[in-house]
Parts: sequence; C-alpha cells; structure tokens
Amino acid sequence: MTTDSLSLDNEKPNALRPVSGQTYAGLTVVALTLLAALFISRSNGEVAAIWVLANVFGLTLQRARFCFASAFRDLFLFGSGHNMKGILIGMGIATIGFAAIMNWIIPNPGAGFLPAEAHILPVGLSVVVGGVLFGVGMVIAGGCVSGSLYRMAEGYVASWVAILGVIIGLGALTLTWNWWWGFTISTEPKVWFPSIGGLGYTGAIAITLLGLVAIYLLVTFMEFKNGLFMPHINKKIVPAMNFDDRVRSTLDPIFKRGWPVAIGGVVLGILGIVMYTIHMPLGVTGELMRASQLGLGWMGVDVPVLDGLSTLGGCTGRSGESGLLGHTFAITVGLLPGALIGALFAGEFKLRLPTQKRRYIQSIGGGVMMGYASGLAIGCTIGAFFSAVPSLSLSGWVFGLAMAAGAFTGTQVIKRIG
Amino acid sequence: MADEQIPVLDVRGEICPYPMLKTNEALEGDHKDVVTLDVLTDHPPALSTVPPQAMKRGYEVEIDELGAGEWRMRLTKI
Repeated sequence: MTTDSLSLDNEKPNALRPVSGQTYAGLTVVALTLLAALFISRSNGEVAAIWVLANVFGLTLQRARFCFASAFRDLFLFGSGHNMKGILIGMGIATIGFAAIMNWIIPNPGAGFLPAEAHILPVGLSVVVGGVLFGVGMVIAGGCVSGSLYRMAEGYVASWVAILGVIIGLGALTLTWNWWWGFTISTEPKVWFPSIGGLGYTGAIAITLLGLVAIYLLVTFMEFKNGLFMPHINKKIVPAMNFDDRVRSTLDPIFKRGWPVAIGGVVLGILGIVMYTIHMPLGVTGELMRASQLGLGWMGVDVPVLDGLSTLGGCTGRSGESGLLGHTFAITVGLLPGALIGALFAGEFKLRLPTQKRRYIQSIGGGVMMGYASGLAIGCTIGAFFSAVPSLSLSGWVFGLAMAAGAFTGTQVIKRIG
Repeated sequence: MADEQIPVLDVRGEICPYPMLKTNEALEGDHKDVVTLDVLTDHPPALSTVPPQAMKRGYEVEIDELGAGEWRMRLTKI
C-alpha cells in the first residue's frame, strides 16, 4: 500500500528513486515563469523583478504552509501558537529593514511628512470593523486572502471559490466606499510612531519590537497552559548510501518537506524589505480590487469615483498602475506560479474538491466577508498587518487585535458548523 | 501487520481546522478505545497540526506518503 515515505524510512536506501512527473511539471513551470519575467522585462524591468520576487513569495508561503487564518484561529481552537510565532518573527525582521528604508526617505520623522508607500493607514472604526469582519471571514473560509491565493495554485477548488468571494466582496465595498469615507475614514488619523512626541525611529522600533516580543511570550504562555507537546514524529534516519541519496538529502528539506514556519517568517520578512526597496511593501488585495472593478464594469454597473483614495497608500487600487502588467498584477498573480512550483516539487499538487457541499458556502461567504473587510481596512493580513506593523504604523496593531477578536468569533461559528 | 483491522478516519477533502477537529473528536469519541487509528488526509498542513494534538492525547504518530498529495498518519497509543 505504502509507496514512498515522507520520513526517510525508504525500504531500499540504495535504489535510485524515479523522478516524478510532478517534478518535471515543476521544472516546466520554472521555465515558463522565467520566460514571463523575460517578456515583462522588455517593457518594464522593475515589474519583472517584482514578478520574480512574487514567485519566491508564493514558493515561501507554500513551503512554510504560512497561514494567517490558522495563526489566529488555532490560538483559540487548540492553544497552538505555531504559525503566529513565525509571523511575529517575520514582522520583527521586516521592522528593522522598513525602519532603515523609511529613515532614508524621511530623515526627520517629526517634520510632518509620512514615507511614501509605507503601509501607514487610517486608524478608526473602519480598521476595527474591517479587522473583525476579516477575522471571522478567514476562519469560516479556512484561509485568508494570501492563503487562498497560494492554495488555488495547489489545486484547492474551495480556494478558487473563496477568491471569487473576495472579488465580490471588494465589488460591494467599491459601491459603498464613498459612504464609509464620509462616515468615518476621512476623519481618521494616520498614526505613525516615529512622528509621535519625539519617539523618533529608535523609540518606534523599540515599541514595535517590545510589542512583538510581548505577544510572542503571551502566545508561548497560551501554548504552555494548553499543555501542547511539540511533535516528535518517528523518523528512521537512513545514512546516505549513494549519490542519489546525497542529492536528495540536500534538496528534500527545501523542496520535499515543509519548511519550519520560523524560516518562512524570516524569508517573508526579508522579501518584504526587498520589495519595499524596489517600490512598495507586500500586499495582494490591490489587484483583486482592480479585478472586482473590471467585473462591475463588465456587468454594466457604474464604478463610482472613489473619494480620498489618492491620500491613502496601502492596497488601494492604483490608478497609475492599472495596466495588465502593473505592480499589483505582478505581486498577486506572480505568487501563483511560485506556489505551484513549490507544490509540484514536493509532489503535493492535487485537485482537491471539498467532500461536503457546505464547504463551498463557507468559502464563498467567508470570501465575501474578507473582500469587503480588506477593502475597508485597505489591505488584508499581508497589506494591513504584515506590512503595516513594520511600517511602524498603529493601524497594523489595531487591525491585528480586531482580527484576533474576529477569529475568536469565527472559531465559535465553525465549531457549530462541524 | 494486518492493515484491514486498523480503523481508518478518512478526512481527505477537508482543510484546516477540520482534519484536526475530526481526529480529536474520533480519539475522544468513536475511536476512544482503539490502540491504532489511521488518519488519511490530502491537506499538507494537517501533517503538522494533527500530531501535536494526538501526542497530547497519548498517541505517537508515524506519517507515510500514499501518493501525490495524500498521506496516512498512523496514530498508536503509547
């Protein structure tokens, strides 16, 4: 029954194992995505670089099984902080790099200017409502926006449904944005720690890192209280007997077995810094916003002129980059081949259909909630949280806390759905 | 080892948190008294979320890959 083993206990260590069809498919996708990069570079080198980085972004999300939904949900459901710790480590690393970049753009943070492209978003009712709604939605859908995107590439049909839901939700937000703008967002302040009361960069970095460490300790305490064992899975270690085994023992930890989530966090943190160096921090909902507005246009719905967008950064639809090969396109679509490559090399690609019909309803419903919420909060777990906290912005913390409250609520809901 | 005598919990097609929830339910309910339980999954994250929960309940875990994107987690009471 068992063919190959995940845990290295191959029965015939000396036998040459065949290269699987998925590996060849993976190599083909590598060639195709590099060709695409080459093609893009002929018109815009910067976008081509972002495309390749987005490939690495998708690969990292897939390999580390990076999951914001599980990070928040499992704290409440099982007292497990496994994923949350990886996220905290990633944000800690990104904080140092982001601060260095912002210090270079705005040497004097008290002068009243905010660094361009940093994800410093308005703080107020919109972020709280958006965060809670997003938290509920991602738990019900079984993945946040970035999680659903990379799972689309792994063959999860439910994730396609969830992303469709996100686009519908962003469409609904587009039609109601001007009401929200007048009601609350236009008067919400952007709170940037370095500009407050002489904190400067040093103080802001200290506050942010202390906050991250405090939450890391809190998460560890929650794990301890729940008596969670760290897994010790049976692994029969077989010595590398021949060249084939030696090659595999080097490649398997990268391409076959999942990465430790802390490594994923470190790579994502560094990627965020590189991305910001090139243009702007990581964010994936801007392109989905564009897709939803295109969809509204096709259906003959007038897309209103959205108030105030030019004064906001983050994951807003960017009028200047509306082309097919714009920056937001490169990031959001570029992560798909990256995740596909990761899944294929690991032999994990599979078309997965939910066995229960109600999972489709959960995906579309949770997706719509996430879409509306990410429009309102101007970003998702990536743009409004993972890129906002390192931007030394208060909004990232408020969004994160609101998501935790939403995830707790969502956990109660899925316990009842079963 | 007679595979057919080992009860199987098939959670293929389910994504997080259901593989974990259903395994926990099985270990505390229907399969409370079994010594060994095979859990089938096609959701890779379940490979790192189910084992800690099973170990907490006194089981050891062995993972085998069955084919493309499918795994069997054999939980055995220690």
